[in-house]
Amino acid sequence: MQSHSVDRSHRRLRWMMLAPALAFVGLMIVFPLLFTIDLSLTDAFGAVNAGAEHVGLQNYGDALSDGRRFWPAVWRTVYFTVGAVVLETVLGLALAMLMRRAFRGIRWVRTVLIVPLLATPVAIGILWLLILDPTNGIANQLLKSVGIAPLEFLGSVSQSLPTLMVIDVWQWTPMMTLLLLAGLSTLPEEPEEAATVDGANAWQRFRHVVLPMLGPTIATALVLRSVDALKTFDILYATKGPGGGSAFEAETLNVLAYGLTFDYQEYALASAVLVLFTLFIIGVVLVLRRYAGRGAA
Amino acid sequence: MSTAAVLDRAVPVTRRRRGGWSWLRGVAITVVTLVFALPVVWMFAAAFKTNVQVTDPTVGLVFPPTLENFANVLADGAILPAMGNSLLVGVVSTVLSAVLAVPAAWAVGRFGMRSTGSLVLVARIVPAISLLVPWYYLFAQAGLVGSYTVLVLSHMFVSVPLILWIMISFFEGLPVELEEAARVDGLSAFGAFLRIALPLAAPGTATAAVLAFVASWNNFMFALVLADENTETVPVALFSFISYASTDWGGLMAASALMTVPVVVVALLAQKHIVAGLTAGATKG
Amino acid sequence: MRFSRRRFGTLVAATAGTAALGSALGACSTPPVTRDTPLRMLAVNHVWTQAIRKLLPEFEERIGRKVSVSMLTADQLASSYNVKLNASATDIDVMMVRALQEQGLFAHNGWLADLTPRIQGDPDFAWDDVQPAPREASTVAGKVLSVPVVTERSVLYYRKDLGPPPSTLDELRERALQLTDRQKGFFGFVGRGQRSGAVTQWSSFLYSLGGDFVTDGRSRIGSPEAIAAYQYYGELLGKAGPPGATNMSLEQAMPIFAQAKAAFYVDADAIYSNFLDPKVSIVQDTVGFAPFPAGPAGSRPYNIPSWSVGINRFSRLQDDAWQFVRWASSRETVEKIQAAGIPGARTSVWADDKSLATFPAELAASMRVNAENGVGHDRPKVLQVGRARDIIGRPLVAGILGQDVPPVARDADAELTDFLVRDNRHQGI
Repeated sequence: MQSHSVDRSHRRLRWMMLAPALAFVGLMIVFPLLFTIDLSLTDAFGAVNAGAEHVGLQNYGDALSDGRRFWPAVWRTVYFTVGAVVLETVLGLALAMLMRRAFRGIRWVRTVLIVPLLATPVAIGILWLLILDPTNGIANQLLKSVGIAPLEFLGSVSQSLPTLMVIDVWQWTPMMTLLLLAGLSTLPEEPEEAATVDGANAWQRFRHVVLPMLGPTIATALVLRSVDALKTFDILYATKGPGGGSAFEAETLNVLAYGLTFDYQEYALASAVLVLFTLFIIGVVLVLRRYAGRGAA
Repeated sequence: MSTAAVLDRAVPVTRRRRGGWSWLRGVAITVVTLVFALPVVWMFAAAFKTNVQVTDPTVGLVFPPTLENFANVLADGAILPAMGNSLLVGVVSTVLSAVLAVPAAWAVGRFGMRSTGSLVLVARIVPAISLLVPWYYLFAQAGLVGSYTVLVLSHMFVSVPLILWIMISFFEGLPVELEEAARVDGLSAFGAFLRIALPLAAPGTATAAVLAFVASWNNFMFALVLADENTETVPVALFSFISYASTDWGGLMAASALMTVPVVVVALLAQKHIVAGLTAGATKG
Repeated sequence: MRFSRRRFGTLVAATAGTAALGSALGACSTPPVTRDTPLRMLAVNHVWTQAIRKLLPEFEERIGRKVSVSMLTADQLASSYNVKLNASATDIDVMMVRALQEQGLFAHNGWLADLTPRIQGDPDFAWDDVQPAPREASTVAGKVLSVPVVTERSVLYYRKDLGPPPSTLDELRERALQLTDRQKGFFGFVGRGQRSGAVTQWSSFLYSLGGDFVTDGRSRIGSPEAIAAYQYYGELLGKAGPPGATNMSLEQAMPIFAQAKAAFYVDADAIYSNFLDPKVSIVQDTVGFAPFPAGPAGSRPYNIPSWSVGINRFSRLQDDAWQFVRWASSRETVEKIQAAGIPGARTSVWADDKSLATFPAELAASMRVNAENGVGHDRPKVLQVGRARDIIGRPLVAGILGQDVPPVARDADAELTDFLVRDNRHQGI
């Protein structure tokens, strides 16, 4: 610590620079959070201010004992996030290793990779709906031309979530690739050279030299991606509609919370689900960070 | 800190093994690129098809193009004003966010207050659905309902943490010596920020601003509930095409294409900076 | 994410300061109502809205105020109301609502202005001229909360080139199964299969097989009639319908018929014009329109007010909003709009053959038959309609997926019974 070298005016300055941004974000979060927590302890129904009474933790009990909607939604959230993020990490890493050395046309490839990241999720959702339409879509036409039986994709209860994972993988693998490429570019070259001299082959160099050094970058990328994947909404809503489809097959916690709020006007229960959901995300971040810290050491 | 510039540099370590491998690598990269490019290409193609052709899977990428969808979309009278709204809200929210976030990022980057800075991560964690009803309640109490102000504020909620996140890394990457030299020459710390750090940060600020603008351009949920007929942004206008009685696929794809064009242009022109912005902070562990 | 107590204190102080500033600014920023304040209407993206927009200039001139119409999809519209009216928003004057969907809950929340005094004090408006079923649907606890502007009935769309339309449900099933050729991508039947979206279309099947959703506040979806209707619709759409049927709402089902890939299609008559539009349809010469086929209980299609207009109780332009509602649902306006192909709710207009002249003759005839046989609701009359539809739709989906219906129906019946206990309490039944 070198706090003695930072004089008093310095400290004041840094707070003056920081305070407006923090105050803004704080105001936009603190009030809604307090509002939501308060609402989750009431029996508000229909309207948020329609003579609601405080009922303690009843909504939390209702949510946690709901085996029809809540727990399946928790499970789907975990399934979707783990599936998509793991695939994105593996594919992203493979693609990053593939693109590690510069080649002619790398600018074009990078441009192509950026477009899914920057494109509007709503437009992407509608686009995939058209591509994957079981009867009129191009995807089944392509499968047919290589002799594979048509799939129902988003039309099927069992194929929906895996299909959505694939869409998510399409959209977000480039993000992983770019993050990992940035990480790769900062790695020192000596350890790999030394391993080559020792006779390690490409896989061994990757497995025992590159991968451990890349650990911290992978960890950061995992945290960022996981938080966003847990909260995925636009694409689920645009393709499966309210309730995540006919058998609730794509109803994650975020979609459930939206449905409880806007379709059912169950504001109190929805708030309880949102509080639980937020705690869940914070838990995931803390676990990943701790785990990442160990992995890096 | 142009990460992308570093990427362009050939890494000499693995340069042996050219021959057979590089051929396979070329094929692999081509296939992957096609897989990522094709859906968007399909969208642009569909935008030029009639509605009958759009839902006919035997019509591929070769067909007599029609501009009818674009004509319909523009004649509908909702998309152009919506684009104007998106532009206005995007620019204003980005500029205001930068005014708030860049000095804050400098303070964090220079004085090592990362723990305070990571508070912005909270903004990324909280599900937006839990904010909408309370926000609207708050804004209504403040009489801000139905104006651009509401939209700008909600988009700033996303942009401030985003710019902060990117700019912290950027300031950490700037050599501190220049500012120290300026202080020796008699500038205050604030003066050093204003005269030295800020000009040097211009490229980083531009990157962060572009990404913040894209985030605002794409944002659906906030505008969906907070905007009214005069402030409706493009994603909401796009969703309006899914009308009660019919799905105009051609129109949807034309509108999607119109929405995506700016993004593609940005990707083409500023890809290096975009990559740098997207990956900011990722390599710091 | 570690930060000290002192930092937290500073953060809280800064937040409180900003909040105080915000509310100080807010206190004086509510704009006053002037002649320039537009009358604002939140509406669904529907042909009716497009038609009324074209007629607006004459109305604007009369009241000397601009009218601005914001169009959204039905789901977005419901979300917008919930967010805005929870904050007692004054920036909505006229509200387009579904009398059978959200009106009950909005009434419970006190969001809709009571129109009864205005209607009673206005004999020229001729409220009695509005069809009885829609009129009843507009009334909650003796108060008129909305005025119907669009009505719809279920109709059987069929292909004239494949023979005459079936007149019974048995015949429909038989012919649909027979015509299905999955190898060629042709389906005997198409209809909505999405859990919630399908419930309204399924209601005609339910009524014609002798069932109903709820009677006297009790669930009826476990009854033998309801199970028969679940099984019938499940077999029809599951075996004669396209793959992925459970993901289909109107937006997915309609194009399949329009693309000549299905022989029969049951949906609202209000969407017929899609099949006559060469831009989306290749069946404009072969599409036929028939009354709903009869079941054991006869032909009992729904006949409902699908969209109505009401007034936001927090609106500061109550009088002008009423002038709009009155004008938009007046005999003269309904005549013009119905003549443009959008069926309204006024008996006198329906009696006038001129107003039906733009409809294909066969459709006009079917609509009249369906209106006569019709049931006035297509979903249960409860407060939380969305939730009830999700429960009712569960066995429907199970049937389409070829699962065993009775156990799912019994489970859904139990769930609906629990639901009704709470819903009835909120309704004050």
